[in-house]
Amino acid sequence: MEFLAGNLAPFIASAEKGEEHVGFVGILTYAIFVLIVIFCLMAYAKKGMNLRVFKNPILNCFEQLYLFIEKMCVGTIGSHGRKYVSILMTFWMVIFASNVCSLFFPAAPTADVGFNLGMALIAIGYVQYEGIKTNGFFGHLRHFGGPNLGNVLLAILINPLIFLIEIVSEVLKNVSLSLRLYGNIEGGHLAASAMNKLGEGIYVPFGAFLIPIKLLTCVVQALIFTLLLSVYISLVTHHDEPEVDHESADEKERWESGKIAEAMIH
Amino acid sequence: MSESHHETKSGPFELIFNNLPVRTVLGLVLMFGGSYVSKNYQEVFEQISHQYGVPVDLGKTVATFGVFLIIFPLVNIFFIKPLADAIGERNSTLEQTFGEAEDLKVQMQKMRSEYEARLVETEADARQKIEAQIKEAQALRQTLMSEAAQRADELVARATQEIEAERNRVLTSIRTQVVDLALSAAEKVIAENMNTERNRKLVEDFISQVEVAR
Repeated sequence: MEFLAGNLAPFIASAEKGEEHVGFVGILTYAIFVLIVIFCLMAYAKKGMNLRVFKNPILNCFEQLYLFIEKMCVGTIGSHGRKYVSILMTFWMVIFASNVCSLFFPAAPTADVGFNLGMALIAIGYVQYEGIKTNGFFGHLRHFGGPNLGNVLLAILINPLIFLIEIVSEVLKNVSLSLRLYGNIEGGHLAASAMNKLGEGIYVPFGAFLIPIKLLTCVVQALIFTLLLSVYISLVTHHDEPEVDHESADEKERWESGKIAEAMIH
Repeated sequence: MSESHHETKSGPFELIFNNLPVRTVLGLVLMFGGSYVSKNYQEVFEQISHQYGVPVDLGKTVATFGVFLIIFPLVNIFFIKPLADAIGERNSTLEQTFGEAEDLKVQMQKMRSEYEARLVETEADARQKIEAQIKEAQALRQTLMSEAAQRADELVARATQEIEAERNRVLTSIRTQVVDLALSAAEKVIAENMNTERNRKLVEDFISQVEVAR
């Protein structure tokens, strides 16, 4: 038993002095396992792709996911949002599969802050990259400065403040994205463990009753991460804010809905 | 990171992110770098974890960078692009099929309207022909009836003439026989020596008077 515990320690959540911790190799193993599952499902789904009507149930699920994310991209970002479907769908699949992994195993990639922080940094870095690509480097920086206030004094006083707040906000987006996911998944684990301890005396795993809620959390967290990423992309790929100049009412409505969605999730 | 970068002009970012081998190598380097960081700075991370209560390991973060740098293009090429193409192709096939169905429907409606117009035309033609035939038949009937009536009149007239002639002939014959009988009777009554011619004249006058009186 000690031999097993010693060799499997890097791969499973080990409790030491009341703290649960999974090492680098453990998280890497879980991540590889999740990726293998995703690629196996994709390979299986590809079998029915050449048919006129998709009959493969896994492919149907992927198709619905693709259409959902495409609709979300177009609805949030605009007609040019289709080109972000690939990155958003990849994020969605990895997060969802990792979350589902957390239902059956003592740890999961998304139950680790380091992994989530990596994803958040990639997401926010990609948003900055898209912002610079769309508006240019200085245009993107100017975007952080807030709207043109009209008054020079106000501009000198307020705009640097807004700039500072926006920069802090951009940095904290990484923290909020990673901690939200970590908190929900790891929180689910802790809640299940605590409830299991309640039933230890009578041999009833009360934590199992949390599985439906945890499954809902798996979907919702994947959705929130991708929705926020699409909102962030939408905010930086719009040329101007609606108060200054907007091409159409649709653009304004989309911009406002993005802001509302972001505010609601936060 | 996604297919969107293909349309951008090549800068240093595009040079890295659009090149799959470069990305793969960079991803592997980051994964091994993350492993190195995680192994060598474990104590620092544990200290941070104890201090702030968040078990953060930046080595995992760096390795995650590497993993995603590799899997983004892989997932895109392996699955998402074929899926998007298949959905697009299916949608275009469906649109084409719906378009063909719409064309067929329009064609069918056109044929139906043509058929109905032709049916109406045929019905009108048939009705016209029937009316013409009826008119012709009525005319023929009229002609035949008038001819029959004329023929009947002729027959009646001829029969009347024949009856009249026969009556006259019979009357003449009767009249002759009556004269003969009267003469015979007168001969027997008056006996002989009588001018037969004169007597005959008398008798004929008498008979004529009798006929007029009748």
